[in-house]
Amino acid sequence: MKISITIWGNRISPLFDVASELLVADIENKKVKKKTYISFDPGIPLELIKTLKQAQISILICGAISTQPAELIVQNDIKLISFATGNTLKLLDCFAKTGDIDHKFIMPGFTTTGGLHHP
Amino acid sequence: MPDKNNLTPLIIDDTCKVILESISDGVFTVDYNWKITSFNHAAEKITGISKKDAIGRHCWEVLHSNMCEQECTLKKTMEEGKPFINSSGYIITNEKKKIPITVSTSLLVDTNDNGIGGVETFRDHSLVDQLRKELSTKVKVEDIISNSSAMEKIFNILPLISDSDSSVLIDGETGTGKELLARATHNMSPRKNKPFIAINCGALPDTLLESELFGYKKGAFTNAVKDKPGQFALANGGTIFLDEIAETSPAFQVSLLRVLQEHEFTALGAIAKEKTNVRIIAATNKNLTELVLQNKFRQDLYYRINVIRISLPPLRHRMEDIVLLVDNFIHKMNICQGKFIQGIDQKVLQVLMSHDFPGNIRELENIIEHAFVLCSEGYIKLNHLPGFLSLPANINDVLDEHEDNNKDPVESAQIKLIVDALARNNNNRSAAAKDLGIHKSTLFRRIKRLKMAL
Repeated sequence: MKISITIWGNRISPLFDVASELLVADIENKKVKKKTYISFDPGIPLELIKTLKQAQISILICGAISTQPAELIVQNDIKLISFATGNTLKLLDCFAKTGDIDHKFIMPGFTTTGGLHHP
Repeated sequence: MPDKNNLTPLIIDDTCKVILESISDGVFTVDYNWKITSFNHAAEKITGISKKDAIGRHCWEVLHSNMCEQECTLKKTMEEGKPFINSSGYIITNEKKKIPITVSTSLLVDTNDNGIGGVETFRDHSLVDQLRKELSTKVKVEDIISNSSAMEKIFNILPLISDSDSSVLIDGETGTGKELLARATHNMSPRKNKPFIAINCGALPDTLLESELFGYKKGAFTNAVKDKPGQFALANGGTIFLDEIAETSPAFQVSLLRVLQEHEFTALGAIAKEKTNVRIIAATNKNLTELVLQNKFRQDLYYRINVIRISLPPLRHRMEDIVLLVDNFIHKMNICQGKFIQGIDQKVLQVLMSHDFPGNIRELENIIEHAFVLCSEGYIKLNHLPGFLSLPANINDVLDEHEDNNKDPVESAQIKLIVDALARNNNNRSAAAKDLGIHKSTLFRRIKRLKMAL
């Protein structure tokens, strides 16, 4: 399984709409096997979607996101987990093990991780 | 008796809290680890995140601003020790809603003037942005303003017209606000939550107009690779505004008549008819009665659309509205462009009052917009007006230069302005009209009126 996370230094980027770096991780047997970093233009979300689809990435984890890019991502059959926060590598390890993000990795204002998944 | 000296710091502290909680600007403070240490009521309201959830979290986790990653003014303040005022940006709420904000930041110091963090105030600019948007799209019922008796009659009957489902015919010269009135009728009607679709019949050739309105089925014609619903299907339950209805062909008029009579239509290439529930508002700047007499417009369609007729008066028949309209445009453009223009000079008003406004309200708006470009503050003066309105001081030179035998200095000046604008734009009349800040049809009329041989 390949997943991607928009990053800001060693953290998850607080806002997808202006994020410009992506971490792509290959997960096998609940472990992160390979990590790749990609730069992208936040002004052209369709280009990012194209990159994700070409690389067969099925999940995108990001921080806050506005309606328009969120809908665009979901319409293109990419599972979106938004409003995530915290240290990227810790979240990645947690996701590799459990297939979900822990409560400690969600932004304030959300009580469960349920509302962050699309679809 | 309490000691006043000991009470003062407490009173100041409490007063500050009350003030912070009562202001409409969001305010929060952070320590040097970027963790939020205070979060006022307005900040809760704007972000949608409670103080309880915000305190102790990193500011970027709560604000999710476009400035966080790269141009964080709070970071700049804490690094450079100086405040920053009114930086523009936006935040995204947990509902994924974009809220435009302006941000001011300053250093937070303790009683010994040691830096202990930063303070950020942010203001919600949604209303201003909404107003900007409304101004640019010009879709606001309140935009129709008037003091004239002719318009007052229309305002009085508009609620009744809106409540009914009958077809409406709006006639009036170009720029009188026909589409605005149609939108107002729709917005005040029970159909207001359904689509309002405006089609300019004069801008589309006959076949395109039919496919646009009725839609088509896959294979109906070359390139029809899939079904496309028409505007009658898309506007179901709403209103379709057919502007320049007089420009339609007799064949299209028959198709439209069928929709009005039967409340059904057939998409191009389809076999079955589709039902439609759409209110028709048509508009024209032509005299439809005359066109019917000349057999250029179908009489039966004329009676179908002319159930309720509204005639919009030209601006020259409601000159008492000039001041009101100018004030309204200035007010909105001040907000839109962030300027503080106070009004118009008395001489400007005289010039405007003596103009006949062939382009009507649109022309007046363009004149004010032109003046806004040239006037940075205070009052709009004669030199801020478009050339065709201001009288050049060296009028005699102009006359000599063009060897114009015309005795009327105003007309001579207008001729010179048009000739110059055409020369600047390689004789392209549309570009020249844009250059002069008037509508193309206004330029044509003016060329004709001035008997210019071009």
